[in-house]
Amino acid sequence: MMGFETIAVLVAEQVPFPSAPAPTNRLFQIIALAVVGGLIVLSLVAMFRGWATRREGLAWTVVWLCTGLALARPDLTTLVAQALGIRRGADLVLYCAVIVMLIGFFMVYARLRRLRRDLTVLTRYLAIKDATAGRQANLPHAGPKAEG
Amino acid sequence: MPADCPENSRSTNPPNGVFIVVPAFNEASAIAVVLHELRAVYPNVVVVDDGSSDATFDVARSTGAYVLRHAINCGQGAALQTGIEFALLRGARYIVTFDADGQHRVEDIAVLLAPLLDGRCDIALGSRFLGSSVGLQPGRKRMLQAAVLFTRVVNRVKLTDAHNGLRAFSRRAAQKINLRLDRMAHATELIDQIRGSGLPFEEVPVQIRYTAYSLRKGQSARGAIRIVLHYLLGRVIQ
Repeated sequence: MMGFETIAVLVAEQVPFPSAPAPTNRLFQIIALAVVGGLIVLSLVAMFRGWATRREGLAWTVVWLCTGLALARPDLTTLVAQALGIRRGADLVLYCAVIVMLIGFFMVYARLRRLRRDLTVLTRYLAIKDATAGRQANLPHAGPKAEG
Repeated sequence: MPADCPENSRSTNPPNGVFIVVPAFNEASAIAVVLHELRAVYPNVVVVDDGSSDATFDVARSTGAYVLRHAINCGQGAALQTGIEFALLRGARYIVTFDADGQHRVEDIAVLLAPLLDGRCDIALGSRFLGSSVGLQPGRKRMLQAAVLFTRVVNRVKLTDAHNGLRAFSRRAAQKINLRLDRMAHATELIDQIRGSGLPFEEVPVQIRYTAYSLRKGQSARGAIRIVLHYLLGRVIQ
């Protein structure tokens, strides 16, 4: 029985591309495609089970599908790169990876800020509640910080 | 500290319902003098200890002020918002924010409150450039002037002093303030909110007294750049 990764490689090979060199060793492709296939399944499961929002699930699925396509047919990246005015497919992949990483960092940063804000609201609630109730617990110190 | 109104201050007839909010972080060595001076005139002083690792909390409590404590360090903006919300809960009619490091003068509070009591405005902002500064170093002056320029360009508000911690709010104005930037960028965010509220505001001349201690606690140029970045990111990430 053929696995997902083997099917993906075979399907991708049906796309005509005259300058594509014949692959001699597909070990990396097969392993990487297996990983990407797992990530696609994980993204879809996360979306349908509500672990991630629909938008997040779809965005990650598209990212992994593009990754899988680039792995299965690296020569296609050159075709797209040249259409975009970039010389090599590897450069296109690198640029895309950097952009996706930057977007990822920004999203994580935004989430951290929201968490920090929630923590402040909670801290404020406790401070006012304690003062209003006329008590102050011996709370742990946060340690020295640069800003007050 | 019980939340009952402190009674042991020697009042010299301040207006009713004035609450002074003092955010404090590791100010144990300076805050006692500041609070004693404040409490000699204004009975309702609210100190927000922002997770200090020194004895700020105990020192503040010994002065008879209301003392609230953040379990962790959240930043000056968060401490101010906590103090403002507490003062509103206690029925404050006017709220004044005041630094804990001894830079501000108690007598300037009456000057700040005057336009509010006259009904001319809802917010009074202290300005050291309309008033005076003692011990202001040229480097810090340039940084403050850059902040004023930033406020004019980004916030589109014409002020002479953008980052003065001495301010007074009417109850109506304080209810409209909701500082979401926890750290020092709150000063710029506050100007945005003042503009957005549509409430009248005035700048009032005050005096700032710089000491070696307050200069050490103040912002460096690198800190100022971080504040700008924090503020700009805060505008993008809601």
